[in-house]
Amino acid sequence: MVSAVETSGLTKIYRLDLLSGGKRIVALDGLSLKIEAGHVLGVVGPNGAGKSTAIKLLLDLIRPTSGTALIFGKPPHEAAARRDVGYLPENPAPYEYLTGAEFVRLAAELSGLRGAERNRRVDEVLGQVQMGNFASVQIRRYSKGMVQRIALAQALVARPRLLILDEPTSGLDVLGRKLIREIVLTEKARGTSILLCSHIIPDVEALSEDIAILIGGKLVKAGPVTELLSHEGSEVELSFEGLGQAQVEGWPFTIVTAGRRLVGRCAASEAKALINRAHDLGATLVSMHPIRQTLEDTFLAAVKAQGQQVGSVIE
Amino acid sequence: MMNGVLTIALNGFRESRRNRVTSVLVVFALILVFSVTVSVEFTFSTFDRVMADFGLGVIGLVTPALALFLSTGLIPREIERRTIFMVVARPVSRSAFVIGRYLGNLFTVGFLLLVMAILFLAQLAIMYATTNFGTGIHAPHLVALYGLALEMVLLTAVAFTFATLSSQFVATLMATCVYFIGHMAEDLFNLAQRTKVVPFKLLGTGLYYLFPNFDRLDFKDRATYLDATPMGELATATAYTAAYTVIMLLIATAIFERRDFK
Repeated sequence: MVSAVETSGLTKIYRLDLLSGGKRIVALDGLSLKIEAGHVLGVVGPNGAGKSTAIKLLLDLIRPTSGTALIFGKPPHEAAARRDVGYLPENPAPYEYLTGAEFVRLAAELSGLRGAERNRRVDEVLGQVQMGNFASVQIRRYSKGMVQRIALAQALVARPRLLILDEPTSGLDVLGRKLIREIVLTEKARGTSILLCSHIIPDVEALSEDIAILIGGKLVKAGPVTELLSHEGSEVELSFEGLGQAQVEGWPFTIVTAGRRLVGRCAASEAKALINRAHDLGATLVSMHPIRQTLEDTFLAAVKAQGQQVGSVIE
Repeated sequence: MMNGVLTIALNGFRESRRNRVTSVLVVFALILVFSVTVSVEFTFSTFDRVMADFGLGVIGLVTPALALFLSTGLIPREIERRTIFMVVARPVSRSAFVIGRYLGNLFTVGFLLLVMAILFLAQLAIMYATTNFGTGIHAPHLVALYGLALEMVLLTAVAFTFATLSSQFVATLMATCVYFIGHMAEDLFNLAQRTKVVPFKLLGTGLYYLFPNFDRLDFKDRATYLDATPMGELATATAYTAAYTVIMLLIATAIFERRDFK
């Protein structure tokens, strides 16, 4: 089965003008990744990590300096490759002189939908994003959340096999975020492949099966969420009674709270030995549970390891 | 591809209709054309010439201004506001986008030209029927209006080409220069033939062949004096406009194909 997205060594270098010193900025450096059909890939990274650059390369909004990208086996510069793609850009800017319904209809027509099918789909997606009541209002009168919803509606209108969502929940209130999460889950259940870029890491963690961490234009970690987190989640939290802070000095044990109970963390491999040592000192183990590594922890560790960069000036 | 082009063109026409600046320009243009009637009140003789000259002059002033204003701002604005993202990301080629946007502008300026032309011709006819001033509507009037339509087609294509590679300000400046040089093409050529300085001769001749010759499409003077234009000349002007427009649009799409939308 052909992958929804496949990139190989995808690189984008911007050349600044001579007034800016003629420097080159590597916005994306040799990105190779794959999204299998029906999978959800979450891409996280700090500002300037290259997330939006990667998306723009996939949509042919910008051209790569080197490397290749394929969407369902076709290069993105072929219009046919984009037929099955729905795109929600970061801070979407729809035509403000149109009403919500006109804008979604325009998107449907540009994707080749016509007549009754087009009208049916427009009504369906407007209902899906809960904008049916505002469909005949000009977009210039919409709030930010409404613009985001109408932009999502245009992304969904042609029943895409690949959804590319760039910061879909940014600037939304709790209800808006919940609605977008639900829509993503519905599309996922329908078998749509999804590329989800977001700063809001818990959203990415909750919705994605695979994760890619981009830092400074480079892919530093990629894989299934479960695999990425299980590799990192090798700590346990222990809670003792009858153990003083001074007694554990020098132990491979990071104290979290000290009081009637001494709570701290250690590597899972050290836990048994520590429990035995505490027992020998007359302490009682009250509780022990594994520390679940969140994606945020993994992400922060990766950023720390790389040193946060915003692009990399190479010349 | 044709469906995409038409969808984009019709949307462009709708955009212009809802654009307040365009509406103000349309009202202004209609007032100007209507003022032809007023100008006749201050005329002692040759009413027909004054009416034709003034009316066609006003249309010839407003149409290029509107063509320049609409064409040079459109693509830079789409890129700057990033409205282009959600269109180009669709299964629409970039050339379809450029041609669709061009046709949308053409519909707008063409519609305005049509309204002004109808008003102008109605004035000629009404004036002749009610007061016996002037000569009514004649073929040279229609030919002059046709020439203005050709000029609009070509100028929009030139302005569009500049707009695909620069900001609105630069595109307006360049397209306006081309418009004026294009109207002086014959003079430039004659000057180049008379000069003895070889570089000037080459420059003048080069500019004559390189820049669009808008003089070829200008039949307003003939309308004033009711001079007929041979069909062959009209056909040549049409073919010239079509060829130059196609070349301009090919250049515009070639430039646009290579652009990054950051």
